[in-house]
Amino acid sequence: MPPLRVFLWPLTLLHLLTVALAANTETFNERLSLNSLQDGKVAAKFTFTTLLKDGKPRDPRLLEREDESQHFTIFPLALGQILRQYGVTELHLNLNAGKWNYDVWGSPEEKGVGTGGELWAWLADGANTSIDERWKGLRNALAGLFCASLGSLDELRTTIPSRAFSPEGSLPHWDLPHHIRHGSLPSENVCTENLTPFLKLLPCKSLSGIASLLNPHRLFDADWHGMGVHVLWREDEGIEVRLTFQSVFDPLRFSNGRIQDWSLKSLFNRQVERACPVAESSEILVGLPHAIYSIKPEPSSIRHKSAVFDVNTLEKPLDVSLHWRNPFQYPLVYATPSTPISIRRTLTGSSQAWGQLSVAVTNNREDPLSIIYLETMPWLVQFFLHTLETRIDGALVDNVISNLTYTLPIPHSRPTTLQMLLTLPPKKTVYLTMEVTKAFLRYTEHPPDAERGWDLPPAIFTPVRFDNDTVVPLSDERMYSSVLLADLATPDFSMPYNVIMFTCSLIAFVFGTIHNALTRKLVVVPLTDDKAKENEKNTEGS
Amino acid sequence: MTSPSTNANSSWPKSLRDPSTLYFQKTSVKRSIIKAYWTVIICAIPLWWYTTSIQRLALPTSRVHSETETLHTLPVDVCWEGIPNGLAEPVRKELVQRSLQHKERWNGLTLEPFRYGNCGDNTLIIRNHNGPESIHNQVLKISVEKHVRKDGTYSRHVVDLLEDLLAPVVDASHFNNLAVQYSSRYRLSFSLLNEDSAAGDMISGWNIEHALRVHITPLLEDLSSLHNFTIESQVQFHAPLAFRPAASDGYWGITREDLNVFVNSAEWILSSSSSNDHVLHFVLFVPSLNARPLYILDNNGQSTESNSFLLPQWGGIIIHNPSSPSHQPLPPADLRLTFATFADQLSALLGIPQLPPSIKQLPESGHHVLSKWQMDTLLRRRTIENTIQTRETLRSIVNLVDQIENMPVGQDVKDDVENALSAYTEMWTGSKSLIDIFTLSADAFNLSSRAFFNPGMLALLYFPTEHKYAVYAPLFASAIIPLFVSALREIVAWKKERKDAKNGSSVDHTQGTDTPNTS
Repeated sequence: MPPLRVFLWPLTLLHLLTVALAANTETFNERLSLNSLQDGKVAAKFTFTTLLKDGKPRDPRLLEREDESQHFTIFPLALGQILRQYGVTELHLNLNAGKWNYDVWGSPEEKGVGTGGELWAWLADGANTSIDERWKGLRNALAGLFCASLGSLDELRTTIPSRAFSPEGSLPHWDLPHHIRHGSLPSENVCTENLTPFLKLLPCKSLSGIASLLNPHRLFDADWHGMGVHVLWREDEGIEVRLTFQSVFDPLRFSNGRIQDWSLKSLFNRQVERACPVAESSEILVGLPHAIYSIKPEPSSIRHKSAVFDVNTLEKPLDVSLHWRNPFQYPLVYATPSTPISIRRTLTGSSQAWGQLSVAVTNNREDPLSIIYLETMPWLVQFFLHTLETRIDGALVDNVISNLTYTLPIPHSRPTTLQMLLTLPPKKTVYLTMEVTKAFLRYTEHPPDAERGWDLPPAIFTPVRFDNDTVVPLSDERMYSSVLLADLATPDFSMPYNVIMFTCSLIAFVFGTIHNALTRKLVVVPLTDDKAKENEKNTEGS
Repeated sequence: MTSPSTNANSSWPKSLRDPSTLYFQKTSVKRSIIKAYWTVIICAIPLWWYTTSIQRLALPTSRVHSETETLHTLPVDVCWEGIPNGLAEPVRKELVQRSLQHKERWNGLTLEPFRYGNCGDNTLIIRNHNGPESIHNQVLKISVEKHVRKDGTYSRHVVDLLEDLLAPVVDASHFNNLAVQYSSRYRLSFSLLNEDSAAGDMISGWNIEHALRVHITPLLEDLSSLHNFTIESQVQFHAPLAFRPAASDGYWGITREDLNVFVNSAEWILSSSSSNDHVLHFVLFVPSLNARPLYILDNNGQSTESNSFLLPQWGGIIIHNPSSPSHQPLPPADLRLTFATFADQLSALLGIPQLPPSIKQLPESGHHVLSKWQMDTLLRRRTIENTIQTRETLRSIVNLVDQIENMPVGQDVKDDVENALSAYTEMWTGSKSLIDIFTLSADAFNLSSRAFFNPGMLALLYFPTEHKYAVYAPLFASAIIPLFVSALREIVAWKKERKDAKNGSSVDHTQGTDTPNTS
């Protein structure tokens, strides 16, 4: 069609111009921060941020209509299409393994460190399909994308903890109510099969840039590791996808507990060989210790007590190493925890039917502290709220808990949501105790390996700020308690056939007896004399 | 203690001395009890049968067989305009002759009606025109006088031309292999893959929205009556190959064998899996700076001119060797070339017939890119494809259900099969426009495949009858044996009584006073 082409030529030129102007609609930044912890371990956090400038979440009222074509350059297409399909405004997915030791390691850089899987999303109402259906679709799509068993994060584990969470980004002004859906799956651990699809969402995969340090052999060998996927919308910027990977390495493990030196090579068994060509910035931040040390190579700059290495400009291969002059001494007493509170949570009691949940929360600060305590418990452990007691120094107190909301569990379908505002006096430990009952499950409700028990999700503690009498949760400072393991009555799983056999035998016995009694023919057997005598002898003998 | 038995006997109540006088020991009562047991069991059998049997609704088996065995033909409506009388007749005869000879090619098409003179808007028109052969929408202009003489002789050219237009050479295997199976929805996924952008000199993006608007959208709009399309695109900066291209003098080469494994699906995510639509992939592959230029090699190991190839039913791939070192988006000239190629690949994948080379296509009105001749041929081809598929699917369902007795057939499956069958029947009744026939064929095809893939049909397939009996046996075996034994005993006793009664009334009734009066 030459005439058409001729006509389109000016258009093409015009378009090129606009494209050149709008070329930077998607930006990618990557960063690795490494910090030495007081017990000699090293916390590493990878952050990969992709920003889709001027992108907007999909309006749920338009979900029924055919979606417009999606053209992405750096933004991960697979994730982007899932977000559009279910009209998700904000999404957070964490998959972690291990227990984050707040008291020694301090507050993590990425807050979602609860053991196991955790997923929560903000969705706007207003679509023809209900929020719960979209939430279900989202769960399944993410389960497929990340090869995680998020499909079992079903209605039995979905809660609506609206008081303890606030959106990290902004919510669009659609005049539609936004709702949160939250689920935790403490038995889900992160492993290589989750990391591989995670890496495919990165523009440079694990082939160049900082992402090339993501070596699964080392990451999953670390004392603590976890990955996170965070999608949020910033009103004046666009849609941000933040992919994170955190891990806590132990360099002392390889050096008989004396040398805490580390390098990229020793931690990841890799170096940065090439820069990622699409990364706008690519930095390695090393927290500088309070000791005599040497760091190699020369950092590009120093920022907030951290050495900054610009991967794009420094000579490759780049291997950052930190060396201490003195050997490492385990501290006899750890410094006071830097986190505002310390949490201990246990489930006591040896019975398979009853138990007691006890939580000890210590305020490490000199000021009173207000905190929202959230329990999202599957229905199989049910609270007796009337037995809730709070003690300080062994004495019962009643001014700690206020503003309690409680969503009762529905057996076989809905979990408990318990949210309460705790006011912690300075430098005191508050002990909360509550009786719980453990459910008796149906035969089919037991998981594989039922004898192990049930993992219960962590409790979440969110500090709050008071804003004109409204309580604003500071989601960014939330802390997770450890997970619990509940021992429930487990049946003998070879049982069904035994039950069938036993019941059938019993029924057959009863049936046979009654039937026999009803249809038996009774006759009198006349005894002859011989027999009578014999009988007599027998009776005398006995 | 002498003769205690006689003493006791005399003092015992009568019922103990003669149990047959007890109410429940009366033969009639006893027999009623046994009868009651059996009545309950016999009455319960239908209930038990109903609650434990699999729902298997009857499928219209005989109708499926009779409907799918009759072969139907699809009429091709061609009209001759402005042609002197009698000139077209020999051409028509030859075409009919060929349609009978080349059965594979004309697969179910007939040339009826074949009209002359006043042509409507909806038919294909052949117009007499002295000049170059051309096609525009529904009108094909050829010079009839040049090809057909008054004495009835004609040149093969005109017949070949018409045959190529109406029934293009698609040997069945070719069509089935290259073009994708009909689906009402397709997802088109365009990917710009840089093999290794960290090596330098990558293509950082492309102005895809513009290119789609110019090259792809007009085609999709023409096809909107057949398919719905969703489009997505992405750029990847690291897309390693699963093999190493062969190094030659100054260039790298991909052999024919390598083309089969070119798509590295372990490393490339080429489309989002957000729906179950059939995906057609279009890949622009930019080789790494270290392996450039990259050419496709022919069988002799020589590089070829062509830099693109089709993977049947999957999509198209173009290898792009950037001419000048850059860190820029794809230059407009390359973009145009790329998307013109993608458009050609898309047409081939969707089975759009090519025009014979001797015919010039005049620009279509509006944004159309396909002439009505092409559209009609495509519609007919898809209709026939759907018809064949529907026929096979329906027959398979019926056979499968016949063969596997454990397979449940629910109401939804039955409805789908019946609706598919009625859509199929509807296609051939009355005179309909081609597009209506096509829509019905698509409905029939979609319904029949939905019935075939209904997940409910798998439900009980893995729960065989043996398991059921293993569960029942402990209950039924132990309960039924006493029932049988007591019934048998009573029947034997009853027969004996009847025999005794026949043999004569002289026999004393020693046992009880009541005789069986019912049986």
